[in-house]
Amino acid sequence: MNLLQRMPRIVTIMVVFVVTMSVVRTWTGFDDLTSSGTIGATLRLTVPILLAGLAGLWAERVGILNIGIEGMMILGTWFGAFGAWKFGPWVGLLFAIGGGMIGGGIHAISTIRFGIDQVISGVVINLLAFFGVRYLSELAFVGQPQGGISQSPPQSSAIGRFDVPFLSGGRIGGWTSPDILGNLEERGWFIIGDVAGIARGLTNGVSWASLIAIVLVPLSAWILWRTTFGLRLRSSGESPESAESLGVNVIRVRYQGLLISGAFAGLGGGFLAIVSSSYYRQGQTAGRGFIGLATMIFGNWRPTGVLGGAAVFGYSEGLKLVAGNSITGLFLFIAIVAALAAVTGLVRASMRRTLAAAAVVAVAMLAYLTVDEVPESLTQSLPYVITLVVLGTASQRLRPPARAGVPYRPGSAH
Amino acid sequence: MTTSTPPAVALDGIWKRFPGVIANHDVTLSVDRGTIHAIVGENGAGKSTLMKTLYGMHRPDAGTVAVNGTDMHMKSPADAIAAGIGMVHQHFMLADNFSVLENIILGSEPAHRGVIDAASARTDLTELMRTVGVTLDLDTPVSELGVGERQRVEILKVLYRGADIVILDEPTAVLVPEEVDELFATLRRLVNDGTTVIFISHKLDEVLQVSDAITVMRQGTTVASVAPADIDRAGLAELMVGSELPTPGGRTTDIGETERLTVANLSVVGADGRLVVEDATFAVRAGEIVGIAGVEGNGQYELCTAIIGLRPATGTVIVDGDDISTASVRDRHDAGVAYIPFDRHREALMLNSSLWENGLLGREASPELSTGPLVNIGAARSSTRDIIDRFGVLTPNETVPAFALSGGNQQKLVVGRSMITEPAVLIAAHPTRGIDVGAQAAVWAELRDARDAGCAILLVSADLDELIGLSDTLLVMFDGRIAAEVDPDDVSPAILGGYMTGATTGAAS
Repeated sequence: MNLLQRMPRIVTIMVVFVVTMSVVRTWTGFDDLTSSGTIGATLRLTVPILLAGLAGLWAERVGILNIGIEGMMILGTWFGAFGAWKFGPWVGLLFAIGGGMIGGGIHAISTIRFGIDQVISGVVINLLAFFGVRYLSELAFVGQPQGGISQSPPQSSAIGRFDVPFLSGGRIGGWTSPDILGNLEERGWFIIGDVAGIARGLTNGVSWASLIAIVLVPLSAWILWRTTFGLRLRSSGESPESAESLGVNVIRVRYQGLLISGAFAGLGGGFLAIVSSSYYRQGQTAGRGFIGLATMIFGNWRPTGVLGGAAVFGYSEGLKLVAGNSITGLFLFIAIVAALAAVTGLVRASMRRTLAAAAVVAVAMLAYLTVDEVPESLTQSLPYVITLVVLGTASQRLRPPARAGVPYRPGSAH
Repeated sequence: MTTSTPPAVALDGIWKRFPGVIANHDVTLSVDRGTIHAIVGENGAGKSTLMKTLYGMHRPDAGTVAVNGTDMHMKSPADAIAAGIGMVHQHFMLADNFSVLENIILGSEPAHRGVIDAASARTDLTELMRTVGVTLDLDTPVSELGVGERQRVEILKVLYRGADIVILDEPTAVLVPEEVDELFATLRRLVNDGTTVIFISHKLDEVLQVSDAITVMRQGTTVASVAPADIDRAGLAELMVGSELPTPGGRTTDIGETERLTVANLSVVGADGRLVVEDATFAVRAGEIVGIAGVEGNGQYELCTAIIGLRPATGTVIVDGDDISTASVRDRHDAGVAYIPFDRHREALMLNSSLWENGLLGREASPELSTGPLVNIGAARSSTRDIIDRFGVLTPNETVPAFALSGGNQQKLVVGRSMITEPAVLIAAHPTRGIDVGAQAAVWAELRDARDAGCAILLVSADLDELIGLSDTLLVMFDGRIAAEVDPDDVSPAILGGYMTGATTGAAS
């Protein structure tokens, strides 16, 4: 599509971001802001949200709201853990996809075949998945070593990770190549050190599953905007009557879209149960399905945008994880983000936005300079707060599929 | 046309029933190849149902459909497309967020192994546009196109699928005169290339002007097939409605002295920061109809919605001496401003709700129709029955959902709802758009009665005859400004067209 036209803007945003963070890091000595540890954690935490966001995107592009992503992810965690425990991690991921597709299929049948309200169907799937996997655990996990009603037995093997040779000390044959980025990062030079840290985080100890998830972003974009299938699929979300009048089988593409949506959600769940940890645990998804929906809106219903939104959440969670006690650094992050929003507000001559963002900067800086310790319960919620701040300040002209969430009956054109 | 060539389309003995209605009965139609064949009839005469049958959108209960001499049993539009039939719907079937290219190729994409071959689509479409004599930017999203351009997209869509029989359902309802001429030139070019055009309309002048053959429908069946040379406008109207064609009549009462609606220096800023209404100043007196002519999208919509308070604006709006410039929509409504919206589906009706609920809209707080916070359902229903009786809305009762009514009857309900409160000021936007001559005459009569009773009416219309016939003063809007004020008794559609397109400038009268 217009990826090439958008490229320069993305590059500009990234450059501004890196420079700002670099300035703040050297100024405050808060090294975790751009350390490879933080970025590596960011990547791991981004992937499930990214997959949830893509799940939402595939469903809404076809014209159906999918509130049930959380439930489909729960199915993914359970089936993924079960498959990985029995047959190994890769088969586990396939099981996770299958589990998610069961959820997607239920949503499709209830909303398309029986015309049940899309929101209600989604909510029911969330509840059904939650209690359904407890029942399945009762059958499969209770009585197994370390297994129980809310937990699966641990998996014996994991999905491999890789380091990129020369950049991050990857091995070629038996020889370990130099870790160039690691060396640069240790020097901590202004900007160079930050770029090296970020790049190393993205190239060191990366799970093959993460790589697959990232590849799904351009793949989704390519399928949706370059193929016949994608055009017909999107037409169902934009104007199903026109699509039908041109011979597109709207009902069929809606089923297909929801099955794909379920597959993405299931894979996201499987990632949590197989890559992020090595067993299924109740509550593992922790609302990521809903955060995924938020990133879909933030990303303007486009795959690259979803990636951006998921990365924001992944980063704030990663920072919390790595920074540990020095969690007050997150206030700094909030201040940076708000400052960027204030600058763009100035550029676009939007006074109200500039003032709002400036107020956030002031509050966040005050908190950073005065607060030494943050209660545990509050740090848990910080990533959500940050995500809200970012989603709120990054106002943009959104273009949702015109008919997302509107039920369609064939021949309903008047 | 030799007799040995089978007709492009032959329908025989078609019946189509819907629950409670016989939409078509015993319809017979024969369309010769390479001609423009007009189908005329009032709204609700069954034209659209018949065309949907021909396009495979539903199956007839009885009768045969033959295309180029072959009997067809079409189950879906896909079968019709395969048989070379294409349809340009009255309500455009376009995906607004898609580009022109995407809209045209959807469903028939040139592709290699599922990957769209955009380059070859582009080449084919450029060639097609050249032969048809149409220019469009293929990458523009349809949402940015005007009505005439959207229609061209629809026509290209049909031709791209190789249709040699093109059905157009009331194609001129949304066009200004100049666009109508362009459309007819395009159709003529198509027919010369061997395409067959079936053209549905109730604008008799156009039908007589453009068609090679005319079939008249009335009350669900075909009543006559005539050649345009053998009949005049009055004769055609008589076949259609069984009565004389109504025209907007002159006035017998005098315009009052008092200004009931005064608009001064009204400006509206659009979404892109540009002024979409610039410094509009005019007044409507008691018993006066002020008409606004203009090509759609020149600020009429923004002007009207600003006057009723739906859109922020600068400037002054005074109704009966009260300054309502900053009042809420509710307060303006209570001050006596009523509105017949531009698009009855989007702005006027809840299509899935009953007629009485629709009739209640905007009046739910009035003392006659409510008791405290509770709506008085009995009173609301009987009030809606009044509207139905007085404005001749054809419906079994007031509990049917609005979507079950034909467009003309929906419009009568909307007009009735605005007028039954006897407003001081009526903003009437396209009050007769897409409705048949019978309903049109009824709406005109109501507007005239309200005017004679002292109502100040601001009339926006795309129908220049309507504007000239009804208005006491005629303003022309172009590019957000009131470009001219003309005397409706002394102006022709051609002169108006000059102002509307910006070709002529300056005030005349």
